[in-house]
Amino acid sequence: MTIAGVEPRNVATPADVGELAAAVRDLYADGKPFAFVGGGTELELGNAPRTLDTVVVTTACNRVIDYAPEDQTITVEAGMTVAAVCAVLAEHHQFLAFDVPDPDRTTIGGAIATNAYGRRRLRFGPIKDNIVGIAIVRPDGVVAHGGGKVVKNVAGFDIPKLMVGALGTLGAVVSATLRVHPRSEHGAAVALRNLTAAGVLRVCADIVEAALVPTSIVAFDDGGERYDCVVAFDGFRGGVDEQVRSMTGIAERLRCDASQPSPAELELLEARERSARCEAPWRVHLGAAPTKLAEFLARNDMAGIGRIYYPAIGSAILTANALSAATIERWRSDLDAGTVVVNAMPLAARGAIDAWGAPPPSWPIMRQLKANFDPKGLCNPGRFVGGI
Amino acid sequence: MAAVSDFIAIVGERNTITEGSELRTYEADGLPGFRVRPAVVVLPETTEQVAACVRLARALGMPIVPRGSGTGLSGGALPVEGCVVIGLSRMKAILEVDLPNRRMRVQPGVINLNISRHLAAAGYYYAPDPSSQSVCSIGGNVAENSGGAHCLKYGFTVNHAVGATIVTAEGDIVSVGAHGGEPDTLGYDLMGVFVGSEGLLGIVTEVLVRILRTPQATRTIFATFPTTDEAGAAVSSIISAGIVPAAIEMMDQLAIEAIVAATRVDWPLDVGAALLMDVDGVAAEVEHTADAAIAALRAAGAIEIRSPRDDGERALMWKGRKGAFAAMGRISPNYYVQDGVIPRKEIVAVLRDIARLASEAGLRVANVFHAGDGNLHPLILYDGRIPGQEALAERVGGEILKTCIRYGGSITGEHGVGFDKAAYMGDLFTEDDLATMQLVRCAFDRDVIFNPNKVFPTPRLCGDRPGIYHPHAAELAEVAGRG
Repeated sequence: MTIAGVEPRNVATPADVGELAAAVRDLYADGKPFAFVGGGTELELGNAPRTLDTVVVTTACNRVIDYAPEDQTITVEAGMTVAAVCAVLAEHHQFLAFDVPDPDRTTIGGAIATNAYGRRRLRFGPIKDNIVGIAIVRPDGVVAHGGGKVVKNVAGFDIPKLMVGALGTLGAVVSATLRVHPRSEHGAAVALRNLTAAGVLRVCADIVEAALVPTSIVAFDDGGERYDCVVAFDGFRGGVDEQVRSMTGIAERLRCDASQPSPAELELLEARERSARCEAPWRVHLGAAPTKLAEFLARNDMAGIGRIYYPAIGSAILTANALSAATIERWRSDLDAGTVVVNAMPLAARGAIDAWGAPPPSWPIMRQLKANFDPKGLCNPGRFVGGI
Repeated sequence: MAAVSDFIAIVGERNTITEGSELRTYEADGLPGFRVRPAVVVLPETTEQVAACVRLARALGMPIVPRGSGTGLSGGALPVEGCVVIGLSRMKAILEVDLPNRRMRVQPGVINLNISRHLAAAGYYYAPDPSSQSVCSIGGNVAENSGGAHCLKYGFTVNHAVGATIVTAEGDIVSVGAHGGEPDTLGYDLMGVFVGSEGLLGIVTEVLVRILRTPQATRTIFATFPTTDEAGAAVSSIISAGIVPAAIEMMDQLAIEAIVAATRVDWPLDVGAALLMDVDGVAAEVEHTADAAIAALRAAGAIEIRSPRDDGERALMWKGRKGAFAAMGRISPNYYVQDGVIPRKEIVAVLRDIARLASEAGLRVANVFHAGDGNLHPLILYDGRIPGQEALAERVGGEILKTCIRYGGSITGEHGVGFDKAAYMGDLFTEDDLATMQLVRCAFDRDVIFNPNKVFPTPRLCGDRPGIYHPHAAELAEVAGRG
């Protein structure tokens, strides 16, 4: 196992949260740098750790602590996989809106630490909107909680939010109370084809104008400059049917080719989305206000670059077999008020490219936060934004 | 006084308050029973003025208490001895509306409801709708992570305020969260932790909020029940059936009586409880959801189910609900508002416990609350002229909070911890949990100059380790206070 190319000296697999906290406490006391790993699906994310003694694997901490279907919440240990949680929820016709590409391997803790994102974020919000409470093991081995078990709660600082996307640099998430959603009675999708980036954005604008409520909007490059855009709806049958009709009307007005894709076709597109997010040697995650991202995609040469584009969220994943540091740099200076994060790159490129780009203006506060949580700088050192 | 003239030099004489009835306004917020006179109140008009005031206060060793509209119910804006109150009510410009990206940039003094009013003609609105929305400010909403009736479906301020300009404890102007509408930001989610930080981490001077398209259709349903048992069971059955209404509010008999007395709603007085519910979304979906909800209400034992005849009646019903706290004046000389949260499945049991606590104390408790989220608002009625009744009401309030904790809930769903509930934080969180929150606080405000004595039960300055409390030099010099 390597983290962004760095191999640890040891791998620890604590059997439960108590053992995990004890292991961390010992590592911290001994001054040994460490990192946490869940299912290991995002080990390429971030910069190479400056130094690494031990990887602490969380997957043995995988119990359901409490499931309250009538409250639409579940509390689980963070080493449980997303698929395992969803299997428990399915018994009560509920699901977790964590859209990870590899749910059989991705753990809850890993999804939180990496701020996993996906198509249904449009409707159910980002991961941080779906966490109501958390337990962490701090870098010094202390167990601490934030939030609670109820869906509405403003007592104390929102520690759960702070752990989302922190890549385990403030400690390990060891359990979380998650908001879950009822499964829909019915789902359907409409595919609109041969659109430019501006055309995709126009579709989104018309969807908003019509006050439709899609679950997801995903645009796939068609191998060239254009996109095929899939808009999905879920809910009670009558509402879904009405929205599909409205969507067909929007397509007609925009004079674009639209149809309801077959299940096989949808499966194929989802497989493509998964592979782009898990397998491509270069994976670059763009984020910007929707109009700015559409303009960026329209003005930059995208020949040879795969695009999974979430237009209404303002997010896209660009994939390629080869990219240069100069291209990443150009994109970063071109994408106004946006983020260009290199989620994966070949080992040889790592020296020349910072995975995150320039830190934001609030970085001094982040650096202080890190210093307060991890005064010895032992927890996943150097992997995060600005060398944190 | 040298300090006052220095503040006047920054914000001008008309924006500096040092005496008289004007100063008295700032001695308290919406939490009754506590008044503290601040040394000075400043009402800056720009971010730069806020920053200059913070730098000056820091140089003078004065604690800073930020304030929005002063409607908070937990004493978050209650001054501390010798402090400067920085009020943001004069910063009320709408700076930018970006409909294509559904974002809006506003100053902190903008009144919550004015955002939606500004957008109504274009068919958009701002979702968080605290009952005080016609007077509370967006800056205060950010500080408190304000909720409201429609949070059930749409989430709280933290889900809608995505970026901010803040003034730090050093007097620096810093952008946190999204500044251009990007969905995620690099590094730690400072905006996520800043929202709801109750004025302890900085002063917000600009907010970037998400705005939503007005739904195709909204249906309002009003239903009455013999007792709160049936109404509570109806809420549980709606939630567990997977129906997601925009709001479900419950009112018990006393609350209905007060609302009817204060407004023109024609709700029946001979029922034990009522639910007011909104279902919104795509038209066909709304019809289906409303029908399913009505079936659940009926199955739970509703006496009467009705919908408003027109938009006017709908507005009146919601006005009645949102004005419920104020309406208590019709049935009691004084009341004490509590704010606690419980798992939704426990509503019936907890309401019974509350009734028992009230009857043991010989006080009446009215319940009007966000039932869909399990966010209770018991209103403990008392007569302040009778010696001991106020203290008794507070004691009952405390017992109710402990009941919420016992059922696995929280001590506050939307009013904040503030000054009022700091003492209960230790019942909800461990010493290590609270120390972890202090690590966050000290990353923003090392010297604890923002809102000291709020939220945390034991004041602790940065660098202290949990254990015996040692007063800081600033405190010994009576610059920083202790609660």
